Amino acid sequence: MNSMETAIETKSAAKAPARLTDVCERLVELAKKAGAGEAEAYASRTRESSVKVRDGAVEELQQATSKGVGLRVLSAGRLGFAYGTDFSRDGLKGLAESAIALAKGAAKDESNGLPRGAQLGFTRGAEGDYDPAIEKIDPAWKLGAARICETAAASVDPRVRKFDSTSAGDFLSHSAIASSRGASGESRASYAYIHCSPVAEADGQLQTASWGDTRRKLAALTHPEQIGRVAAARAARMLGARKVKTQRVPVIFDPQMAAGFIGGLEAAVNGNLVYKKSSFLGAFLGKRVASKTFTLIDDATLAGGLATHPFDGEGVATQRNVVIEEGVLKRFLYDTQTARKAKARSTGNASRGWSSLPSIGSSNFFLAAGDLSPEEIIRGTKRGLYVTAMLGRGADVVTGDYSRGANGLWIEDGEFTHPVQEVTVSGTLLEMLASIDAVGSDLELRTSTAAPTLRFNELQVSGA
Amino acid sequence: MKTEKRATKASPKLARPAPLLPLPLVERLLAAAGARGAEFAEVYVERATTTAVSLDEGKIKSAQVGSVTGVGVRAIRGAQVGYAYSDDLDDEALLRTASTAALIADGTNTVAPQNLSRRPLPTHYQVKQPLRDVDVARKIELVKQADAAARAYDKRIQQVMGGYADQTRELLIANTLGHFAEDRQDLCRLGIQCVAFGKNERRTGFFGGGGRVDFRFFEDFSPAHVGREAARQAIATLGAVAAPAGPQTVVLAPGWSGILLHEAVGHGLEADFIRKGTSLFAGKLGEKVASELVTVIDDGTVAGGRGSLNVDDEGNPGERKVLIEKGILRGYLYDHLNAQLTGQRSTGSGRRQSFRHAPLPRMTNTYLAPGNATPEEILGGVRKGLYCRQFGGGQVDISNGNFVFEISEAYLIEDGEITKPVKGAMLIGVGPEALKNVSQVGCDASHDPGLGTCGKDGQSVPVGVGLPTVRIDNVTVGGTGA
Repeated sequence: MNSMETAIETKSAAKAPARLTDVCERLVELAKKAGAGEAEAYASRTRESSVKVRDGAVEELQQATSKGVGLRVLSAGRLGFAYGTDFSRDGLKGLAESAIALAKGAAKDESNGLPRGAQLGFTRGAEGDYDPAIEKIDPAWKLGAARICETAAASVDPRVRKFDSTSAGDFLSHSAIASSRGASGESRASYAYIHCSPVAEADGQLQTASWGDTRRKLAALTHPEQIGRVAAARAARMLGARKVKTQRVPVIFDPQMAAGFIGGLEAAVNGNLVYKKSSFLGAFLGKRVASKTFTLIDDATLAGGLATHPFDGEGVATQRNVVIEEGVLKRFLYDTQTARKAKARSTGNASRGWSSLPSIGSSNFFLAAGDLSPEEIIRGTKRGLYVTAMLGRGADVVTGDYSRGANGLWIEDGEFTHPVQEVTVSGTLLEMLASIDAVGSDLELRTSTAAPTLRFNELQVSGA
Repeated sequence: MKTEKRATKASPKLARPAPLLPLPLVERLLAAAGARGAEFAEVYVERATTTAVSLDEGKIKSAQVGSVTGVGVRAIRGAQVGYAYSDDLDDEALLRTASTAALIADGTNTVAPQNLSRRPLPTHYQVKQPLRDVDVARKIELVKQADAAARAYDKRIQQVMGGYADQTRELLIANTLGHFAEDRQDLCRLGIQCVAFGKNERRTGFFGGGGRVDFRFFEDFSPAHVGREAARQAIATLGAVAAPAGPQTVVLAPGWSGILLHEAVGHGLEADFIRKGTSLFAGKLGEKVASELVTVIDDGTVAGGRGSLNVDDEGNPGERKVLIEKGILRGYLYDHLNAQLTGQRSTGSGRRQSFRHAPLPRMTNTYLAPGNATPEEILGGVRKGLYCRQFGGGQVDISNGNFVFEISEAYLIEDGEITKPVKGAMLIGVGPEALKNVSQVGCDASHDPGLGTCGKDGQSVPVGVGLPTVRIDNVTVGGTGA
């Protein structure tokens, strides 16, 4: 004990940061010593760095490292939680005292408890990518990439001259967990990204679009020129957008918007909302909710996934969860506490940062690809709306209602005719799921929640 | 007037607590940030202590506390910004942070930091005891009372989730112009969400409030009232019919409906979008952008307001700004950088989520000045339309001006009377067009109860909004009904 502390102090004097697992273990030990029945510490350290450009010059350079640790203690079913950024012995001691004091004042809840034994673990092969090349990206590379992206965007169309922003950056994270029940683990992730939001202008109308790419391996990152071109083309094609009449028509969501729709379903399969009878999908386990082409998966073990990780926010080994299989609802997502209440098993979906308690969240959450190309789906639509941007929250999983502002392109006889704005699309989520009649083959895991092109057989479009 | 008087009385004599960071160190950091030729350097020190209590299924699910202290250093040269931050507070780590920010400039001349001088500040907050010093047991009790009141309202209320959170945020801001400011910003919020179960349907209700207020605020704004109001909304919308789809006349109830202004015009008047020319309001000063009934004010000086600021996150005092006067666009919201670059003056609108973020121009409390009509006159004059009583969130696309605005409790208006509840309604419009269609403004000026949080570029800041009863014609309602 003593010698370990000396080691850490020597390291920190030499400016090498204390090992995160050591910080967690130390904090757990302090909490136990101060009287906690069970204790769990979760810490992370991150580094972020970004460059924004405007007209080829640097607009903003940002770089920083940051760290923090959160402590969950349980004493006779009473929970306390405290967090902070001070890793010194006094800092950690203060956290232990605060958490224990809060637990003393809390109500007893039998469902409180840390995962233990066989639940805990580390899924081999689900470490996720950590690319040392991202660690070494220098600001000049980011500046160059963002410049190339901006120049490419500005060369697509003379009407694209303004930018909200163009940026390139990287993000490194390192997390660790330790608990008195034996949780122990460390994981690292690296991300590099390029992002561009150009604004197209004509006849007094401004239209913006946002496009980018984020990868855990630098070599996998899309070329900045390609990102700039796509972003600019998406903004320019919206010029001249107008309302359409209020009507019921087929509606297609492009992959980005389809991902948003899938993201809205995440809360509907959250085991806690289901347990509280507050999800519109709660009563449908084992039942058909969509056509056979609809398979929804949560997979923290996916190779190359942005959200791939070996253990969840409370040290439970992660796994692949098929949520909806060929249209049939198969599984809800759980953390340890909700699983205990619902008499289910944790699915490894405790999600958290150091400043919050674990709660249920998805990992790589995606709709499996279908076999129609997006072109086939569009060509096969006689008249309808192709949605490329949306406003508002959309899905309300408690009531099952859906309504969102939409921008996009109008389709007549399988061809795009003109851009559309200032309309809403709405329906109930159950009807919407049932009305999906085409799933595209164009699934790309560009974001942790992802989907291919989707067509709803008919939705309400409100406009003029 | 009143607040200024109180401030002059309070400020000079009281002993000050030690600054968050020793002033000689602050000066060294400023010098280091300016060492490569930046024209402006700034040090921002923040200590934020947060308490949060959450309740679910009738039980306190958790009580938590956290404290985070950090320093953000910014260097500006022309339109170029270098930003770095650290939560390591030793001199060496902080000097390294300042040197990182300094890299934005590549020269060698140093800005000479001027002597730091404090400016006298008024106070717009209504907080005596810092919220972090209030016993957590009292905070827990608030949420329990609200929960009990919601459950007692009607037996169809079967799920209640409650939360109370507060923050005591201490700031020290110093820059090479010699400005030096310290502030303590307390903020609290109590909120309750209910789910009512009917035959084959579930409806939700949400209510709450707070602000930069003393904990005693909840003696008047009682938790029981909060619980009952959330329950009332959920029960009232059981049996709701589908909202009509297409253009309608809408009447907005007062208060939180002010989010309409926040989305439809507020964001579009923030000076970063104006300078980049990406807002549809850029270059339109002096032009008519709304009906002459519309006067929009952003006011950081509202007593106890959720968005109120003695100083913004760049050390400039909070202000009351008239943005639109009788339909004419009069001004934009400026932070230091965008004001500097366009020859304007900061309007005290530079805000940031924390020391981990560079400031952006943001709103504070944004509201519509009252008109002459009584709410009864406004409602009575509508033959067929939609009455919007409670509201969810909203969002805007700055460039094309499209905004949406969710309605959580709405009713049909038939021959001047409020009739059936409707569900799933959302309003969509283009900012200036919607404001040109404002045809009546009520005399019932009203602020929201202190609930709003505004997101921009990944940064969240607390804001207030306000609106009297308003009639708007020809608004597109997104619903599923006929």
